Amino acid sequence: MSVASLLWRFPSVLMAWRNLGRNRLRTALAALGIVIGVVAICSLGMATVAIEQQATAQLGDLTNEVTVSSGPDSETEGVTEEQVAEMRAIVTDARVIPQKTNRTTLEARNGREARVSVTGVTDANALYDLTTGPAPERLQSGALISNGTAERLALEPGDPVEYEGRIYRIRGFIESEHAFGFGGDLVVPVSGLADQRHYDTVTIIAADGDAAGRIGDRLDTRFNTEEDEELRVSTFGNRAQVGGFLDTLSLALLGIGGISLVVASVAILNVMLMSTVERRGEIGVLRAVGIRRGEVLRMILTEATLLGALGGLVGALVSLATGMVLFHVITGDATAALGWASSRYLVYGFGFAVAASVLSGAYPAWKAANESPVEALRG
Amino acid sequence: MSVVELRGVGKRYESGAETIDALKDVDFTADRGEMVTITGPSGSGKSTMLNLIGLLDEPTEGTVSLQGRNVTDFGEDERTEERRSALGFVFQDFHLLPMLTAVENVELPSMWDTSVDRHDRAVDLLRRVGLGDRLTHTPDELSGGQKQRVAIARSLINEPEVLLADEPTGNLDQDTGGTILDEITRLKAEEDLAVVAITHDEQLVEYADRVVRLVDGVTRT
Ligand SMILES: Nc1ncnc2c1ncn2[C@@H]1O[C@H](COP(=O)(O)OP(=O)(O)OP(=O)(O)O)[C@@H](O)[C@H]1O
Ligand SMILES: [Mg+2]
Repeated sequence: MSVASLLWRFPSVLMAWRNLGRNRLRTALAALGIVIGVVAICSLGMATVAIEQQATAQLGDLTNEVTVSSGPDSETEGVTEEQVAEMRAIVTDARVIPQKTNRTTLEARNGREARVSVTGVTDANALYDLTTGPAPERLQSGALISNGTAERLALEPGDPVEYEGRIYRIRGFIESEHAFGFGGDLVVPVSGLADQRHYDTVTIIAADGDAAGRIGDRLDTRFNTEEDEELRVSTFGNRAQVGGFLDTLSLALLGIGGISLVVASVAILNVMLMSTVERRGEIGVLRAVGIRRGEVLRMILTEATLLGALGGLVGALVSLATGMVLFHVITGDATAALGWASSRYLVYGFGFAVAASVLSGAYPAWKAANESPVEALRG
Repeated sequence: MSVVELRGVGKRYESGAETIDALKDVDFTADRGEMVTITGPSGSGKSTMLNLIGLLDEPTEGTVSLQGRNVTDFGEDERTEERRSALGFVFQDFHLLPMLTAVENVELPSMWDTSVDRHDRAVDLLRRVGLGDRLTHTPDELSGGQKQRVAIARSLINEPEVLLADEPTGNLDQDTGGTILDEITRLKAEEDLAVVAITHDEQLVEYADRVVRLVDGVTRT
């Protein structure tokens, strides 16, 4: 059975298809409007998914940390040894790493100086990655220093650095955490800051962000009450904040995409109105020879639907290509665009296109179907 | 019983301050197997009368009957059903759909009727009007006379009782007009039709079984 004879079973589709074929340029331009709208919706939606995936991947390292410091209502300037012991008792499933911090100026033999923040920590390997080799599991006598500072002071592994009258040999280099040039880092054993009685921060490294959140809640209920904040417990709540920001971003982008689709459906409305006005006499003939109002209505609605489906399909294909390029650029993995999180925007885009077209076709269809045949025939 | 009957029919157009009585107290009948021609000067109400018979328009006075049924008060949907089942139309300027082939144009009135397949009848009608070799041509590939023959085939696809034609030869030359009238006359007999045709043209009058003359909306026999 040929396509045409199959179409005869769906006269509205046959007629709509033939009508769209009559003025190909106009049909193409109307469909192009829809294509642009769909591409706008889809690629903006897919872009936010890509950004979101990339952001979570990058934040992943930090989100599993809980940071504890002295609260505003604490009587001690810092976290006490007893509090750390208590934390260790409560948090059995994660490492509790107390740290003391200070700032100092390092002086090199070549006379150069560098401001650094000093961290006294024993479990250095839990907090720092060395740029070469593993960090010492327990930092007892040596020191770690950030790359930039080492370079500035021309320090080599094994060279000595002095802090508070004690000499430490450099055991390794770390990437500075202060990316914007706030100075470098010096990491020494916690015994090096013995004259500070209390710990400045305690870092707890949990398995993942959710576990970190639960640990944070547990510590908060143990140490703090509504009025009395003994310890300031901060999980990387920023995960939620980042998520909120991304939600707003994707809403805004979808809004922009939505507006372009509204513009496209106004274009369809215009094209459908124009073509029904042009075909007024023809529609009058249809009505005169006994075609029912509902049948005329269906024919014109089908025309709008086909236009939307055509534009939606092309738009979805173009968007898929755009999405893969976006994912390649943002996350480095083009195939991730095929995942449901991002490819669902193709489905949405197509659905919106068809729905918008049917809506825009409704008025011209209704108008054409209800015109009196004598009036229409008179031209 | 006449298949078409107008009794005391009037049609008044009111546009702003002006009222035009396009038809005044018209009585008219047409029977199956006869061709009635309506003539008269321009603006005398011929098309108005044909539109009333064809249930495209409603009279402001009087009654319209089809096959003995009073259809005066039919709503738009009922009139559509009547046109679909009992009436056929031929227009002066053919009114074929340009994106459909000849045979598709003929099938058009029954296209949405998926219960019946009129394809064979469409082909048969086109053969009978001499277009058996033009079935898949589109209107722009046909001459005026051929287009009008496609239109005549279209008007008969639903096996109507009444064929209504508003100046069917108006856009054709003398000879072509003659063949179209021959065609209509032959089909009138074959299909047992009541034909009501409007013309300015004396030529059509020769083919008529009866002539009704309209002057200023009033019939003169
Ligand atoms: N919709 C309308 N509104 C107002 N006046 C109308 C309308 N339709 C027709 N008329 C008027 O009714 C009268 C009869 O018109 P009609 O079209 O029936 O004439 P006709 O005999 O078919 O003329 P022609 O031979 O030129 O086709 C004319 O005066 C015309 O102006
Ligand atoms: Mg007329």
